[in-house]
Amino acid sequence: METKLQRALYQAAVRIFEEICFMFEAPELEEEFKDAQVEAAASVEFSGPIEGRLLIKARAGLLSGIAANMLGEENPSKKQQQDALGEIANIICGNILPAIHGSKKVFEVTSPQIVKTENLLSKEAPTATASVILDQGRADLMLYVHETVVLAKES
Amino acid sequence: MALNVLVVDDSSVMRGIIIKTLRLSGLPLGEIFQAENGKEGLEVLEENWVDLALIDINMPVMNGEEMIEKVRENPETQDLSVVVVSTESSETRIEMLLEKDIGFVHKPFTPEILKETITSMIGGLDGDQTTEGTVPSSGPDF
Repeated sequence: METKLQRALYQAAVRIFEEICFMFEAPELEEEFKDAQVEAAASVEFSGPIEGRLLIKARAGLLSGIAANMLGEENPSKKQQQDALGEIANIICGNILPAIHGSKKVFEVTSPQIVKTENLLSKEAPTATASVILDQGRADLMLYVHETVVLAKES
Repeated sequence: MALNVLVVDDSSVMRGIIIKTLRLSGLPLGEIFQAENGKEGLEVLEENWVDLALIDINMPVMNGEEMIEKVRENPETQDLSVVVVSTESSETRIEMLLEKDIGFVHKPFTPEILKETITSMIGGLDGDQTTEGTVPSSGPDF
């Protein structure tokens, strides 16, 4: 069952991909992207009233599409692609934190880190996940919060 | 008057987006300087005339808050127009930042929002000094 936090994570991701990368939801491509390999992953950690991290995995062409659309360059370098993915993780994290613990609390967010694909296996179960099927690829998001979370009661 | 702008962000992609958005905004731009963190940003300010600094908050080496404090402490730079461009969503922290006489733009942002915030920070533009036409009424967000 989808939780409020999962819905908030999904909605934040869809909005940010639309507004920054000009990428739009394409649920009809779900089957096509189902078994796509992870191209790269990035994470940002946050600390404050609670701690945790947000991990994003890019699949099915999303990695190059993000950088190309953000920068308006046809052939972004690998560094630019990784940097762009990290920045997306950073922006989604910054926008989801008020949904986790209210807009008054102060969090520190670390700079994005690229996560090697061989290090993606984690014993920890994510608090919320979201898979966003876009017209240029697929993004899987995993939010890990090291504390039971009650979604902030905000409109 | 063309504005010399300093963009401070640890992400090269985000600096690129901010500069692209500045150009789309139609503001009169002079030189654009870049720095990866607050320490580098202060070094740029020591060596160049800058009218406006766009500063991220979360950065390694020296974060944006510390850089702004040092800018305000230095008589040479204390009156510099500063706009924080950040994913920061905490109302408490944003209120604390605004007390330092800065503008604040939340990521993602549009050229219109960036222009409006910058214009209010620099005290408006003299006459119609925008360049490259006007900002589209529903321009892209960045």
